[in-house]
Amino acid sequence: MSLAIHTDVKEQAIAAATAEKLEEKVAVRRLDFYYGDYRALADNNFNLYKNTVTAFIGPSGCGKSTLLRILNRIYDLYPNQRAEGEVLIDGENILSPSQDVNLLRAKVGMVFQKPTPFPMTIYENIAFGIRLYEQLSKAELDARVEDSLRRGALWEEVKDKLDASGLSLSGGQQQRLCIARTVAIRPEVILLDEPCSALDPISTAKIEELIDVLKRDYTIAIVTHNMQQAARTSDYTAFMYLGELVEFDNTTQIFTNPRLERTQDYITGRFG
Amino acid sequence: MTSAAPNARYARRRSVNYVATALSVGAAVFGLTWLALILTVLVVKGVGGLSPAVFTEMTPPPGGAGGLLNPIVGSLILTVLAVAFGTPLGILAGTYMAEYGRYSKLTMVVRFINDILLSAPSIVVGLFVYEIMVAQVGHFSAWAGAVSLAIIVIPVVVRTTEDMLMLVPNTLREASAALGLPRWLVIRHVAYRAARAGITTGVLLAIARITGETAPLLFTALNNQFFSWNLNAPMASLPVVIFQFALSPYEDWQQLAWTGALLITATVLGLSILARMLASKRMPS
Repeated sequence: MSLAIHTDVKEQAIAAATAEKLEEKVAVRRLDFYYGDYRALADNNFNLYKNTVTAFIGPSGCGKSTLLRILNRIYDLYPNQRAEGEVLIDGENILSPSQDVNLLRAKVGMVFQKPTPFPMTIYENIAFGIRLYEQLSKAELDARVEDSLRRGALWEEVKDKLDASGLSLSGGQQQRLCIARTVAIRPEVILLDEPCSALDPISTAKIEELIDVLKRDYTIAIVTHNMQQAARTSDYTAFMYLGELVEFDNTTQIFTNPRLERTQDYITGRFG
Repeated sequence: MTSAAPNARYARRRSVNYVATALSVGAAVFGLTWLALILTVLVVKGVGGLSPAVFTEMTPPPGGAGGLLNPIVGSLILTVLAVAFGTPLGILAGTYMAEYGRYSKLTMVVRFINDILLSAPSIVVGLFVYEIMVAQVGHFSAWAGAVSLAIIVIPVVVRTTEDMLMLVPNTLREASAALGLPRWLVIRHVAYRAARAGITTGVLLAIARITGETAPLLFTALNNQFFSWNLNAPMASLPVVIFQFALSPYEDWQQLAWTGALLITATVLGLSILARMLASKRMPS
């Protein structure tokens, strides 16, 4: 079944984007992914466009997170996991063995489901990553830390306790710290893997506002189980099912008038 | 619930519970009684011999006055050397097993051998070092003593380092790798930092373990009646002096053995308390 649909999905999405004159940042082509012998993703094709937010939705286990984890090659940490196909960022295939994964990860930042502050002070949580890439004076570094925390919408809450442990913050604050930490090293793409699933509604709202601001400077991909969140935050939505991207379109289209019945069923809560 | 059956079953469950509770309390009391007896006798017999002379004078000839200065210093030197050799090796091996080689066959083999080493009788370690060091140069030495203690330290440190690093959540490693950190920086700045209290606890427990080891020293550092800084010569240590003095027929030597035993026990107790405090302060993950 799938080949026809895929070509279709891809063409349709690219057509929609071209109509809006969007610049292609990430291009995924014929992407397969294996956990050992198990094929978790099959023949995925889509683009992420500059300064847009793309949401990935679909039932648990459909491969959304797996897909995201390919884009910064974090799966490389584990043996027996491999990707086949092409992921082009600015035209370069990041899956090629010659790609330096550390430089790739500096360019493609990631925020995880559970907040993961490092066991160090709030200041160090941010400064740590910056120092890896840049030699800055104390004053410059201070300014960068402040700027990053402001971008993470956290500055006002922590400016008086930068020396406190990152672990002393609340869950929502920790997650914004992680976003600030990611932004601090000036990535071009930001991957958010269910960033709000462990957070209360107020923290969630703050992070959603943040996403809206961040997309002015970055290309964002977000995995979420929350339909309203996908509808609220994203410009494009990809619906995944059993390891395949089955429908990709602009968010309004997907949520008001999806082409496939399966997408319709999932969005309206009839399965998944 | 109108029938009597459920109540009868409930009553039976209660009585089984009473019996099981009584048995386990009994077992705990039985074990603790012996421990309390040992500690009481040790304190009663040992405290009498405590005096400044214990820390300032050499081990005496039978009938003479003296203290435990040379074995105390000897034990300190041997312990410091053993920890200096054993800890870095142990931490590096544990790091390999938990970080770089987590999924490799080598790690499984090393873990298995390490577990054997962990429970190997220390006298075997003593004989081994005797064979490779003492027999080769023809005399006992502090170096050989330190090496045999280090061989006891290594498996303890390997095990705790590996276990503590395994407790560091993978999400933390992923989060640091996602910032573009190379593997070694992830380990140094994030994994070690999160596991620091646990690894330190492991080192302290290893020190506590070697503080009382006698068998490996009998074959290696042997003993020395005199104060010595010479690492190529035999060196006194508390456990060996206790062993020698306790078996002697002289009352003043026996008294010094009790006092030495009390000192060792107090040291081990102190280290264990310190280890406990560190462990309870461990970073929540």
